[in-house]
Amino acid sequence: MAHKLEIRPAVVIPGHLIGQVRAKLAYVDERISGAEIHLDGTLVTLSLRQAVEADGLSVIEQRVQHVVNEMARGAIQPKVEVLEDFSGRPVYYQQDPMQELLARGEVHEEETGMFILGPLVTRLVDFFESRFLMLADEFEAKPYRFPTLISARMLDRVDYFSAFPHSLTFATHLREDLEIINRFAAETEYVDDGLNAPSEFFSRIQALLSPAVCYHLYFSLADHPLPDGKLIATAVGNCFRYESTNLTSLERLWDFTMREVIFVGPKDFVLENRERSRLFMQKIFEEIGLVYHVETANDPFFVGEFRKQAAFQTAFQLKYEIRAALPFKGSTLAVGSYNYHQNFFGRHLNITLPDGEPIHTGCTAFGLERMVYAFLAQFGFDQAKWPAVVREWK
Amino acid sequence: METHETLTDRVQHVLADALRVPREEIGPTTEFGDLPQWDSMGHMEVMVSLEKAFQVEITAETITELVSIPAICAHLEARDGA
Repeated sequence: MAHKLEIRPAVVIPGHLIGQVRAKLAYVDERISGAEIHLDGTLVTLSLRQAVEADGLSVIEQRVQHVVNEMARGAIQPKVEVLEDFSGRPVYYQQDPMQELLARGEVHEEETGMFILGPLVTRLVDFFESRFLMLADEFEAKPYRFPTLISARMLDRVDYFSAFPHSLTFATHLREDLEIINRFAAETEYVDDGLNAPSEFFSRIQALLSPAVCYHLYFSLADHPLPDGKLIATAVGNCFRYESTNLTSLERLWDFTMREVIFVGPKDFVLENRERSRLFMQKIFEEIGLVYHVETANDPFFVGEFRKQAAFQTAFQLKYEIRAALPFKGSTLAVGSYNYHQNFFGRHLNITLPDGEPIHTGCTAFGLERMVYAFLAQFGFDQAKWPAVVREWK
Repeated sequence: METHETLTDRVQHVLADALRVPREEIGPTTEFGDLPQWDSMGHMEVMVSLEKAFQVEITAETITELVSIPAICAHLEARDGA
C-alpha cells in the first residue's frame, strides 16, 4: 500500500522554483521516497517508504514548510535570458533510451546512481570527449590530471559546506587502531542497507570525493601570485554529487564524468574566453544536430543559501546552462555549462594577479554521461539515422 | 528633500549594518568587492537591507545595478525625483 502525505505550503511555490524545491524535498527526511508539487505551487505530495505515526508526519510537514518558506518566500523572479535556441531542430526518436540501454546490457546499475557503461555508450562518451578536446585545443589548454579525492580543508576555505552540504560524499578509513581493524575484519557485514560497523571505527573526515573538477586547479594555485597572470587548463575527472531519491538513470548519477576547460586570469580574459568557448561549442553542436538551447541558470544551492545565491548568480549571468531536449518527456536536461565565478576563488584562496588584485576564474564544463543520454534520447539506436560525424567517428 | 550628503550617509549606515562592518569602513564611493564582506552573499544582504530601509524593489536589474554607494544613491534620488 502506498503511503502518501499531502501538504499545503504556507507560501505558494512560484512556477520557476517548483523543480528546485521538489529536488530539495528528497533531503527533508529519510522516510520520504518521492515528492511531487502541483503545477500551481499550492500542494506538495510526498511518497513515504512506510506508514508514519502522527507525530512523525507532523515533523515531516514542519520541515517541508521550512524548506518551502526558505526557498520561496520573497523569491526573486529570475530574468532568464536565452543565448542560443536550437530547440526547433528535427528529432528522430521519442523513447526513453534507458529501457533500451538496460535491455541491451549497455548500462548496468551497480547501486543507486552508479552505472557501468557498455561498449556503445563508451564509444559515444569517447566521441563527445574528442569534441571537448577540440575545444581545449582551440585554447591550447594545458592538460592536468586531478585526484578523485579532494581536501576537506580546502573545500572549507571556499565555503563549499554551507553552499552544497546535501550533495557531499565523504571519504574515510578505519582508524589506525589494531583492535578496531581486527574487530572490523571479524565482525563487519553488509546488513539491510549498509555496513554494520559502528561509526567510531572510522577516522575523522579529511577528504571527500570531488564534487567538481576545476576546484583542484584553484587549490593548486592557492596562496601565490599567478605566474604570467593567465592560465587555461583542461582536465577530465569523476565527480560525485549525492542526489538521494533524485538519482535516476543516466540523467542524474552519484558518480559521473566531467570534462572542463578552465580559465584563470583578469576579468576580461575570463569572460572573453567563456564567450569564445560558447561560440566554438555552438559549431560542434550544429555539426551533430543537437536539439538544445543555452540559458542563464543557477547552481543547486542548499535551502539556507538558495534564495540569495541563486538570485545573485542568475542576475549577474554567472552561469549559462546548455539544456538538451529529452523528446520522450518533453523536457530538457543540463548537459553542460559556461561558468564565471568572478574573483570568488581569487579572494578565498589568495591567488593574485601581478598587480596584486585577486584573480577571476571561469570554466566550461560538460557531463559526459548526460551528453550521451541526451544524444540517444534524440537520435535513438538506429545508427543509420545518426549524424555522419558521430556514425563515422573512429 | 534630503540632501545628497545626508542620503549618502544613511546608505553608508545601512550597508555597514548589512555587511556587519564598522561604519567608518564604508566610504562614499565604496563598491561591490572592495570589502571581503561585500561578496555575493553580502551583496544580497545589502539588497534586503535596502529593501527594508528604502523600499527598494529587488529585481534582476537592481541586483546588478546597485553595486556601489554612488549607484545606490543615484537610484534612490532618481526614484524620488530628486
